[in-house]
Amino acid sequence: MTQTSPLAETPDAATAKPVRRRGGFRAMLPTWSARLGVGLLLVIGIALFGVLGPMLVGDPDAISSIGMTEPSGDYLLGTTQTGQDVLAQLAHSTRGSLQIGLLVGVLATVLSAFFGIIGAYTGGFLDEAFSLFSNVMLVIPGLPLVIVIAGFVPAEDRGLSTIILVLAITGWAASARVLHAQTLSLRNRDYVAAARVAGEKRWRIVTVEILPNLLPLLASQFVFAIIAAIISEASLSFLGLGANGQHTLGTMLYYAQNGWALQLEAWWWFVPPGLLIALFGCGLSLINFSIDEIINPKLRVDARTAKAKAGGVAKEARAAATAVSPAPDQPDRELVLTVEGLNVVYQTEKPVHAVKDVSITLARGEILGLAGESGCGKTTLAYAINRLHRPPAEVSSGTVTFHDRGGPDIDLLNLGDEELRAFRWSKLSMVFQGAMNSLNPVISIHEQLDDVLTTHKPDMGKAERRARCAEVLRLVGVDPRRLDSFPHELSGGMRQRVMIAMAMLLDPQVMIMDEPTTALDVVVQRGILREIIRLRDELGFAVVFITHDLPLLLELSDRIAVMKAGEIVEYAPSGQIYERPSHPYTRQLLASFPSLTGERGAFVRAGGTAANDVNEGAAR
Amino acid sequence: MTTLEVRDLVKDFRIRAGLRSSRLRAVDHVSFTLHPGRTVALVGESGSGKSTIARMISRLERPTGGEIVATGPDGRRVGDRAYRDHVQMVFQDPFASLNPFHSIEHHIARPLQLHHKSKGRVDTRRQVEELLERVNLTPPEDFAPRRPHELSGGQRQRVAIARALAPGAQVVIADEPVSMLDVSIRLGVLNLLARLQREDDLAVLYITHDLATARHFSDDILVLYRGRVVERGPADEVILNPQHSYTRLLASAAPNPEKRGRSLAELPGAIDEQDLARSYDHTTGSWVSFENARPIAVAAANPAGGDRTQV
Repeated sequence: MTQTSPLAETPDAATAKPVRRRGGFRAMLPTWSARLGVGLLLVIGIALFGVLGPMLVGDPDAISSIGMTEPSGDYLLGTTQTGQDVLAQLAHSTRGSLQIGLLVGVLATVLSAFFGIIGAYTGGFLDEAFSLFSNVMLVIPGLPLVIVIAGFVPAEDRGLSTIILVLAITGWAASARVLHAQTLSLRNRDYVAAARVAGEKRWRIVTVEILPNLLPLLASQFVFAIIAAIISEASLSFLGLGANGQHTLGTMLYYAQNGWALQLEAWWWFVPPGLLIALFGCGLSLINFSIDEIINPKLRVDARTAKAKAGGVAKEARAAATAVSPAPDQPDRELVLTVEGLNVVYQTEKPVHAVKDVSITLARGEILGLAGESGCGKTTLAYAINRLHRPPAEVSSGTVTFHDRGGPDIDLLNLGDEELRAFRWSKLSMVFQGAMNSLNPVISIHEQLDDVLTTHKPDMGKAERRARCAEVLRLVGVDPRRLDSFPHELSGGMRQRVMIAMAMLLDPQVMIMDEPTTALDVVVQRGILREIIRLRDELGFAVVFITHDLPLLLELSDRIAVMKAGEIVEYAPSGQIYERPSHPYTRQLLASFPSLTGERGAFVRAGGTAANDVNEGAAR
Repeated sequence: MTTLEVRDLVKDFRIRAGLRSSRLRAVDHVSFTLHPGRTVALVGESGSGKSTIARMISRLERPTGGEIVATGPDGRRVGDRAYRDHVQMVFQDPFASLNPFHSIEHHIARPLQLHHKSKGRVDTRRQVEELLERVNLTPPEDFAPRRPHELSGGQRQRVAIARALAPGAQVVIADEPVSMLDVSIRLGVLNLLARLQREDDLAVLYITHDLATARHFSDDILVLYRGRVVERGPADEVILNPQHSYTRLLASAAPNPEKRGRSLAELPGAIDEQDLARSYDHTTGSWVSFENARPIAVAAANPAGGDRTQV
């Protein structure tokens, strides 16, 4: 262990330059998409019309002698009942509506940011008061309130500013709630705590540490507020409660309505303003979609993923694969699972070869340890064995053969969907990483276990199923009286036991366990490992145990496969791995775990100078 | 050189279940002292109160009782204003403790400016690069403008350590500093902390659930269970010659390849009843019954979980 410096740079880490991705303000910009393009085009087009249009057209109020004419060379959009130019009115109205939308958007966003962010960050009484206030504002039905307020102010005093104020006051509450929730989550992040420990002042934590991370959300709320303001203003004006003497799209519709435009079929009068409102809302919504994608990257539709789904498994390639078995096979081992030359590739922009030519065998009653660090492909391998991998992951070549007890061998990778469903869980089951948190919180333990039995063994009676559920719980050391408990009533260790019980329900021949005890305390972990060993001895199933904890595997498993960057670099009985590790990476991993009772190994605490720096491994 | 003394620290949390509210004592009369150049390890499982102690020392939580006193090199008590110049913290999760929006430089420059350690932009920049170099992030001018997501977990934790050292802290609270990192880089980060400790004669509180690193990394170990210290003493003594039944349970539960072939079938034991109200002190070599702290509840005496009666 001493000849290789265990923590020196690995060649991998040295060559792998971190991918430069977008950070800071650049991360706030939406990614380009057709949706965003159309949205921007609409919004910018209409905005330009609103800004420049009024300078190019004539007086919107000028009354000419020809009323109600259809669009013609003189009047591109015809005239109103009183002979005013519709195009001129439209240009001025668009400007008015945009002005209202923008100002209300700014005001409402400022209000919501103030009440949402300040309240959530300060907490305590202020938060309660602010929350109560915004909740009250939220439950008051918006439009009626607007009508009441607007109607209360005499028509002659009802200027643009009144309308803007009224709309802003009634429009901020919903986004304050959203910002409040997001701020609550952000203020509990460690980086906020770190800023407090560093001694930052409160206002700086809010403005410098929290606010930038809220920007995409604020932007989307702002866009939303503009849409809402323009539409509300249009409704108000349409009802005749709009700003006095102002041109907006709403007042245009109001006059069109009063001028019997609909009855007279003067479409040129009411269609253009209606269409502009619709298109502008549409454009802003499209932009909002793109902003939402920054907040929630899951919304991004990946074209490549869709393509990979259609691709499926490349079967020809698999047949051509060469099978190498480095396993030191003893003839007396009765195999239950053989993996040969398995390759799994993530078909992304740059294909990632996650599992490279892996060959392992698993005998009945054997515990095989799969050791490796994060990103080494151990979970991908486990998923591929059970065909649980999803696009863009693809098995490019190799075979997985299951040697059924008293039955023919099963070629797992060529099973049809229906056969696969019957096979999974009944012959090969899996305990997933963080499985204890995957129990459904609103369904009792019994119902969740029962569900597996009703799916796989439909001919079992109700009493029989309940007896089986109780039996597996007893097997993993949980009192069967807990059958009717709900997951939150059990501790983490108990929930993990229930998950293992669920994996054992159908008496499988192989269990794949992916980090089943990583989240648990060591004493609890020991209790669960003890159950696994005991059950293996009693029931004779085989286990593939995946973890990064090499000392644990050394104690627990019969054989260990050490994985690094998708390859199995060493595959041997665990005694041999511990005493005579042959691969440098295995030695490096072993040295990473200081011994509890033995010497310090690679641990340097006192003395030494230059040599230590190597052991501090800066590369990763 | 700053010394930090923790006296009879108590922390109660209020738990609301519907309309009823009850109190949970997370930390029950814990006392210890951090001396310059020495490391004390707080060892315990989840829920033992070790992170709560860290947060109280970092002044992120207010203690319910007891006091935390930092004594400066001049022998006088460090005031509230200067407290954070002396005591800093390294958080557990480097993926959460750096603000994704800001550059690495911002994270280290801010504490420098806040604690008036640098004069002007050029000086700040120089000191940031010095600190990055000290934590082996070289070349520093390459790392300074990067953002957290461009760094690996180990590199981020180095930034977090540099940030803690920036105000010139003499006491560093390291709350599980390596538990979120890949195993092969954990020792590297701990070795780095150890070197910085030697160079600056730091007092370090190392909080962990891993007995092996606690033993090798620290001078003294305090074993915490349910908010009470159940055993304390020099690191090797506590680990190699554990006296309290909970410490023995912990030590026997840790994976130990040297005991390969040991029957895993043996039951993890429970805590002796007489140990529920006493702790062992290796420096005096004697048992001390809890003076102010309440005894541990009998219900909590079986940390292994599972329903024993049915097996």
